[in-house]
Amino acid sequence: MEKKLNELKPGERGVITRVEGAGSLRRRLLDMGLVKGTEIIVVRKAPLGDPVEFLLKGYNLSLRKAECDNVYVLVKGDALE
Amino acid sequence: MTIRVAVIGNPNVGKTLIFNNLTGGRAHVGNWPGKTVEKKEGKCRHKGVEMQIIDLPGTYSLTANSIDELIARHYIVNEKPDVVIDIVDASNLERNLYLTTQIMELEANMVIALNKCDIADQLNYEIDVEGLSELLRVPVIPTVATTREGMAELKDAVLGAVKGKPTERLVKISYGKQLDGLILRIEKALQKDEEMCMKYPTRWLAIKLLEGDKEVLRMIDKSSSKDEVTDQLLETVG
Repeated sequence: MEKKLNELKPGERGVITRVEGAGSLRRRLLDMGLVKGTEIIVVRKAPLGDPVEFLLKGYNLSLRKAECDNVYVLVKGDALE
Repeated sequence: MTIRVAVIGNPNVGKTLIFNNLTGGRAHVGNWPGKTVEKKEGKCRHKGVEMQIIDLPGTYSLTANSIDELIARHYIVNEKPDVVIDIVDASNLERNLYLTTQIMELEANMVIALNKCDIADQLNYEIDVEGLSELLRVPVIPTVATTREGMAELKDAVLGAVKGKPTERLVKISYGKQLDGLILRIEKALQKDEEMCMKYPTRWLAIKLLEGDKEVLRMIDKSSSKDEVTDQLLETVG
């Protein structure tokens, strides 16, 4: 099932299916390696759930909740793939 | 003769450390004209050649979306430094090489400093340095900025790059058959404006137009190739 990136819990992993958002934000996310087909793992969340730390392409990245809202992932183990 | 060298790379790749290693920390710090982004310049002498080294802002790419990226891009496109040192984090190769491809598209005379090789070793990454260099047709120098490892080799490579002809080792990055065809058609349309094609890499202009880059679109507005290019773009974008 396709989920928004911020709906994943720490330890869960997914594969990015699409990135939305306004021009420059979307572009910046893509620049940092959040491109379709990339595997991304939630490392941990801050106490109030914002920001969130991820592991992708061998490096750690922290994003705000609002930024994660633009990234859609397919959770591993689910159908379709 | 003074050669102008620009240092560029992703944020946190050790760019400033390499800059300081090269210049001995005696940098002149100022601002880019009209912008509140720090500009650092320093000098370095290697084998009797004086190099003027400019530290460009750390960026993930070279779009028209942020001041940092625009400054870095303007410097490479308009000032045409003799050599661009692209500092790549060896422990995070995939993300870093994206900026590298962008610099390649600007047809800059590039040397890659593969920094943080010690951390890559710790992570048990095995990087085929020669293979990377052959693939990109760019000299690749492994470095460890914290221990100054590879600095002399890096300076040697810069001097070597000044002598070499960059046009002979330009690699075109393919975007797949369909897009490559479109890029070629827009390139042809652009060629009507000879002055602009002399000043900027034509393929880069075409790619930026397809991306909808605001700055390049504005440039086309004033260009003599405006009509042809607009026709092509309308046709391709639909």
